[in-house]
Amino acid sequence: MRDYYVLLGGFGSGKSELALNMAVNQAREGQCMLIDLDVVNPYFRTSERQDVLDKAGVELISPPYSMKKIEIMSLSPRVYAAFAPGEGTVIFDVGGDHIGAVAIGQYNPNFNQIPPEKLHVLFVLNPRRPVAADPESAWALLEKVKGVSRLQVTGLVNNGNLGEETQAQHLLEGYELVKTLSERTGIPVWGSCGTQTVLKEFKSLAKEKGLEEKYIGRMYPIEILMHRSWEKFLKEGL
Amino acid sequence: MAKKLMKGCEAIAEAAIQAGCRYFFGYPITPQNDIPEYMSLRLPQVGGCFLQAESELAAINMVYGAGGAGARVMTSSSSPGISLKQEGISTIAAAEIPCVIVNMMRGGPGLGNIQASQGDYFQAVKGGGHGDYRLIVYAPASIQETVDMMQKAFDVADEYRTPVMILADGLIGQMMEPVELKTNTDYVPLAKPWAATGYKPGGEKPRAVLNSLYIETEDLDELVDRLFARYAVIEQNEKMVECYNTEGAEYILCAYGTVARVCKAAIRILEEQGVKAGLVRPITLWPFPSEAVHEAVAQASVKEALTVEVSAGQLVEDIRLAVNGVKPVQFMGKAGSRIPSAEEIAARILEMRRA
Repeated sequence: MRDYYVLLGGFGSGKSELALNMAVNQAREGQCMLIDLDVVNPYFRTSERQDVLDKAGVELISPPYSMKKIEIMSLSPRVYAAFAPGEGTVIFDVGGDHIGAVAIGQYNPNFNQIPPEKLHVLFVLNPRRPVAADPESAWALLEKVKGVSRLQVTGLVNNGNLGEETQAQHLLEGYELVKTLSERTGIPVWGSCGTQTVLKEFKSLAKEKGLEEKYIGRMYPIEILMHRSWEKFLKEGL
Repeated sequence: MAKKLMKGCEAIAEAAIQAGCRYFFGYPITPQNDIPEYMSLRLPQVGGCFLQAESELAAINMVYGAGGAGARVMTSSSSPGISLKQEGISTIAAAEIPCVIVNMMRGGPGLGNIQASQGDYFQAVKGGGHGDYRLIVYAPASIQETVDMMQKAFDVADEYRTPVMILADGLIGQMMEPVELKTNTDYVPLAKPWAATGYKPGGEKPRAVLNSLYIETEDLDELVDRLFARYAVIEQNEKMVECYNTEGAEYILCAYGTVARVCKAAIRILEEQGVKAGLVRPITLWPFPSEAVHEAVAQASVKEALTVEVSAGQLVEDIRLAVNGVKPVQFMGKAGSRIPSAEEIAARILEMRRA
């Protein structure tokens, strides 16, 4: 039986970054399928990193014509293959906000067949992004996303960052955000993401400040594969 | 306010709101959709109004209406959509209505592509719409600069009763950078006695008429003379330019927007190779900072200038006019949205040096 991960969250919260990293990690342990379900934004989608995924042996399913510089807001029929019996991991990288999350709602009958212990629906948060920066607006977004995705969120992800200027401080802000949201909703914190260096700093900061383990969750190290610095942009364009 | 990780489009929209913009009318087109998207979420939260019009033509005429009623109003689009708005822009300029128009340039002509481009320079600077009018055109080079510019754009529009354009490219719109939004708390809106806010017969305020139709030759002359007298003041007061490393330089690069940022990297590469190059970056494309360009290029130390743009030779015409033949001005540009790399620009300068 496959393990399913669905990544939901605000637009630009870092879902694709986490999805790519999870896919590459999971592919080391077995079969891994990554489904790019973003039909809202033609730029910055996991499908852009086909090279990384091919190298890692991840099976990528993209919307038809994605990365062909045209926008066809449709989903591949191959998505249904993810629900066929099989082994390994399936990761759904869903579009941002409730607008992007609409796309996954139609698979509700398929998700209903998956036993709860095999389905992990994660809500990714970055307090330095404008839209879901405080507990109130994050909660409002979470509710909207839950509604349209027709999924229950099983874990919160602290992805506090400020792009190339990221420091442990941003994860600390994220901690406060996921903690408040977790207390309010009862949804556990799945983990905290960052580069090795930032996580190391955050670890000592957490110890110093006496942060509660349960609101940190696992420390999930990520490599920056998606975010485009100015230099990356110049090489690769939009 | 603490730094946020924002996409250019989102940052522009938020900065406009901070600058007092409460009305936005637009129609979707890539790569600027995140501006209306953000506005649709935020404007109702601050008591404003977002409206997706049925077309670009409708949107720009809604801007005419809101601006004419004295509101701070904005629209945004990308190249083909801006073309559709040109009739309205000409009308707004003639009716002397302040507003801000954002163009996130994409590849052209025609539908072109959705990559970044600078192909709308002529359209923005030389008219675009019909008749004798001008737009104040700002060309930011980073998200932070765009954000910092929004307040000024609205203020200047109000001050001169003119449409103002922010001419950026898809790169600025789509890139995500840490930005700091500064809330301007001491901003006092300019009184707009000319605004059409309703007429009461017998009241103190005369009827406000906003019009662009002047059938009598003398009347139209009077309007155009008034506009051009104002443009002369704008040319006097509003030019903005960045001169980087220009003093005593051997070569001067001329570029605006994101390309100028690449030029700075090229200057560093050239420095390592013992070549001193500088950059003149017009921040206002109109009024064009001709004097600063001339001064930088005319220096005795300068051998040649090189204009770099992501278009097939538009900015270079204004640079050559400003330089007025005192030094040769070469052109390096690619239409079709390909942004030259710092290495390519440096290589071109080295090539010019060998020739």
